[in-house]
Amino acid sequence: MGSVRAEFLKLKRSLSWAVVVLLPLMAVTTGVVNTVVSDQQLGNGWHTLWLRVVVFYGLFPLALGVAALASLVWRVEHRGGNWNALMGRPVSSAQVVIAKLAVLAALAAAMQTVLLAGLVVAGKLVFALPGIPPARYLLVSVVIVLACLPVAALQSGLSMLMRSFAAPVAVALLGAVGGVLLVVTRVEGVAMVVPYGLLGRATQLGTGMFVDSGAVTTGVVAALVAAALGLTAAVVAGTATVLDRLDIR
Amino acid sequence: MIITHDLGKTYGNRAVVDGLDLRVPEGCVYGFLGPNGSGKSTTMKMLLSLVRPTSGEIHIMGRPMRRSTRRELLGHIGSLIESPPAYGHLTGRENMRLVQRLLDLTDNQVTQAVRTVRLRDHLEKKVRDYSLGMKQRLGLAMALAREPRLLILDEPTNGLDPAGIEEIRRLLTKVADDGTTVMVSSHLLGEIDRTATVLGILGNGRMLFQGTRDELFARSVPDVLVDTSEPQRAAALTARWHTSRLDGATVRLSGLDDKATAGVVSLLVHEDIEIHGVRRDSQSLEDVFMDLTEERGL
Repeated sequence: MGSVRAEFLKLKRSLSWAVVVLLPLMAVTTGVVNTVVSDQQLGNGWHTLWLRVVVFYGLFPLALGVAALASLVWRVEHRGGNWNALMGRPVSSAQVVIAKLAVLAALAAAMQTVLLAGLVVAGKLVFALPGIPPARYLLVSVVIVLACLPVAALQSGLSMLMRSFAAPVAVALLGAVGGVLLVVTRVEGVAMVVPYGLLGRATQLGTGMFVDSGAVTTGVVAALVAAALGLTAAVVAGTATVLDRLDIR
Repeated sequence: MIITHDLGKTYGNRAVVDGLDLRVPEGCVYGFLGPNGSGKSTTMKMLLSLVRPTSGEIHIMGRPMRRSTRRELLGHIGSLIESPPAYGHLTGRENMRLVQRLLDLTDNQVTQAVRTVRLRDHLEKKVRDYSLGMKQRLGLAMALAREPRLLILDEPTNGLDPAGIEEIRRLLTKVADDGTTVMVSSHLLGEIDRTATVLGILGNGRMLFQGTRDELFARSVPDVLVDTSEPQRAAALTARWHTSRLDGATVRLSGLDDKATAGVVSLLVHEDIEIHGVRRDSQSLEDVFMDLTEERGL
């Protein structure tokens, strides 16, 4: 647990928080501006607003945001003698990898919270929607955060291996494009086992877009959660093995 | 404390470290010397299991040091490799707290380490704003806080001004006096000359010498300097049998043992050259070091 707590300390004054706040707010703003400019109505209230904001957000920005966060949490380790110090401590490779993922999971959860909050504020202030969004969006949000984990684990591994900040983000862009193609072309089986595809699929949950039926059923939720956790475990195990064999240069 | 057997590391087909048999006795300050690029950092990284050896074995505190066993040993080893660690966006205190959480240290251990490196007054500053000397000292505090039995320091005086170097030297002596075995590397002999009790000299990845200071001096014989009335003729005469050259008004003869020195004196006397003085050159560790590294074509 020491390594996880230490990782959270490193977030102090980190640029990560800027990503966590700005990215979801940008998504909300884009959705709102599009609606206002095109003079469309929110025909189905909260559901339409969710569609306008989250569907696009889940196709590209979210994966890129997670990638940027992964690059940011690793960037500090690539500076000075930090790599040497990190691995010169009695901490196993798996602990190092899991600690970073724990931080990314927390950041992803924070990002989703900002998105939800932004959505509620926009719905109330701009469109004067009645009540609050249905509770199922809370469940969908949890699924989205869980689906961020495999992408976070994979991007964390890439950022661990690459000193560059941009290169892993570029990989995420390619991954997101591939993920979108899988989701749009309705190859759901494959999308579920590719981290970027899974994230794309999870953000469409309950929207009725592409492969989604529009209903949030126990079966779909269970499949998404199981895929997310399974993929994360596999990527973490792989990354820890790689780190264990790595020469720190 | 540290024993390696035939330790080697090859990158591609370039041997960075080759057949190294290190012997670092418990309680000593081991000065690990060698020119830049001679393999010191790689060796130290292998000792910490940061780099996996291509060949050979490492035993630290009687236990094998490998990736699978490193965790048990690293708790007792403090290290500072290449540039100092620490996170620039955090303050000195936050960096120390990070180490404290990672290694489960007591407040007292942290306070003590910070006091040892004299950083108490700078803990609230961000490390980004530290001078190199302060960063180096913070790195040392991070290494010392776990109260290690072994301290491995790679060029801790690199880039420091004379006052900073003196500070580190003072620190090492203090740490060693407290019973910690210290292994410290440098490419400048003068920097660890006075602190080290055992020396290891590395050249091109191979051990050129390992032993005490006295043993090192015994390895190479200082030049014989002869002052005479006719230095030119004396130099020419002796050059027939020995390596001899004129150094100002003094004849400098290299590689002479006591018997050969007596021979040279009697030759000069026989040739009616007045001898005003015969003495051994005073030799610094630096000279011995240069001798050793030049001898091997480095």
